[in-house]
Amino acid sequence: MTKLANNCAIAGITRAIGLRSDQDKKTPLQLVVEACSQLMRQTGVGRNRIGALFTGRMPRSYMTLQYSQSLVNELKIAPMFSTEVTSHGGGALGTIELAVLALNAGLIDYALCVTGEASPIWIDMIGGSANWEADLQFEAPYGPTTPALYAQSACRYMHECGITAEQMARVAVENRRWALHHPYAAMRAKGPISVADVLNSPMIASPLRLLDCAPWFPGGIASAALITRAEIARDVCAEPAYIAGFGQSNTHEWVGERMGTWGVGPFEQGPSMVRTGARIAAAQAYAMAGVGARDIDIVETSVPFTYANLLMLEELGFCAEGEGGRFVEAGGVDFDGGLPFNTTGGYLSFGQSGQGLYLLKEIVDQMWHHAEGYPVANVETGLVHGHGGPLACHSVMIVSKQPTC
Amino acid sequence: MSSSTEATVADWSAGRHVMAGELFLGLYQPSPETAGFWEGVARGELLFKWCAACARAYHPRRIICPQCSSTQLAWRPASGEGKVYSFSEVHRAPTKAFGRGAPYTVGLIETAEGVHYFCRIVAQQGAAIAIDSPARLDFRVLETGQRLPVFVVSAEGAR
Ligand SMILES: [Zn+2]
Repeated sequence: MTKLANNCAIAGITRAIGLRSDQDKKTPLQLVVEACSQLMRQTGVGRNRIGALFTGRMPRSYMTLQYSQSLVNELKIAPMFSTEVTSHGGGALGTIELAVLALNAGLIDYALCVTGEASPIWIDMIGGSANWEADLQFEAPYGPTTPALYAQSACRYMHECGITAEQMARVAVENRRWALHHPYAAMRAKGPISVADVLNSPMIASPLRLLDCAPWFPGGIASAALITRAEIARDVCAEPAYIAGFGQSNTHEWVGERMGTWGVGPFEQGPSMVRTGARIAAAQAYAMAGVGARDIDIVETSVPFTYANLLMLEELGFCAEGEGGRFVEAGGVDFDGGLPFNTTGGYLSFGQSGQGLYLLKEIVDQMWHHAEGYPVANVETGLVHGHGGPLACHSVMIVSKQPTC
Repeated sequence: MSSSTEATVADWSAGRHVMAGELFLGLYQPSPETAGFWEGVARGELLFKWCAACARAYHPRRIICPQCSSTQLAWRPASGEGKVYSFSEVHRAPTKAFGRGAPYTVGLIETAEGVHYFCRIVAQQGAAIAIDSPARLDFRVLETGQRLPVFVVSAEGAR
């Protein structure tokens, strides 16, 4: 197999943010184009050099068939490849993974990877959300909400690993501390919270209380990344980030199907409501990059509930299986002195809007000292985890300031 | 979503509207690979797909047996026996209609057939829903007017 590690780099990554409160409300296409405009001007790589366009999934608030072609059309580019990369939230990093394959094969020199969403500006997310997360025919008729679907895994995780509500609350408290420093974090103005605040917040879907759940980001975010081979990255960029390793694992669709999947991926030993493809994706990424969890300086994850953050710390290798609760309890992700974890405030306090590549941008920004929120010192290597479809699709990417191997 | 199962069972092409708030997202309808399930529900039966070669039950909408790759699957009534595998009590319901019944519990029932069935879990008076509580199939008309298979945890069973 061709060596993939560190052969490609992020030669630029930009973002555009629109808020529900803006006078001129923006569509996701407007935001995406704004991010692309910044990227093309910043790198000087014009539309005639874009060899591939990979977009994340079609935004809920801009549903059009052949979504990627809307962007090809707007930018007047003519890439060899143009497609949406779906697998729920896993597709965001998937855009870059496919770009690396095409770049490494020498088929193209520059790939444009974009994600964008602005649903909270345009759609009733509370009412509509469960219809996106549940099987419409077999689950939605019973009245689940998105938290109630995720709660099925929380219920088993607490039962199988002895995770407590206090341990879960702790990650909400620490995420909030990062959010207090980020100008766009949805919960910034709400101030700090305590474990008691989380435990006393209204029950939403047991065992998940209000502060166990991610709020909606009050707007939309689009991100655009220019990916190229490492040997040409320096021609267009002074601050590249090497793509050291990546992995992906996609297992099932809908909560009710999770326990009907066995013999593949994380369910090799039988189905589970707890174990996920994140461990597979992480193992692939670490192996490719030639690093381990102890080499990671910063972590961003896209999971929208407290318990799932503890679980992902296990799955991504930052603590042993079943130890997520104790790891967090012992200060493992404390704002003061812990692993820098969800440094924009995370889904729990930054809010969620289908962040996509914005999570990756946070790591690159921290690496090169342009963080929008609280700065993390000495970031050499970072890990981002994108996920979707109630813990069904997982993608992991490790980026580094220097080649890792 | 609206409409009762009984009313639509004769004509699957009618479909149901799926809304996100006031936004119409599309027509959703049972299709030929699932129509048998809903015909069973209309008769008061819970049907799983069954692979005779593997003696294995599946749900929902299995077209191919993951074990032997056969597509010769048939509908077969569930025994109705099971136990609670996971559950969540929903306090904030997704719609006004469901809100009339809140709080209510949804979860996975580990059935005797080995299928983990996602449904409404109902506790009889004096019973509490917990992991491993024995539960039995019944049918209930939910807040939307739809009559659906549910599993009931009884006071005796819970003890
Ligand atoms: Zn079979």
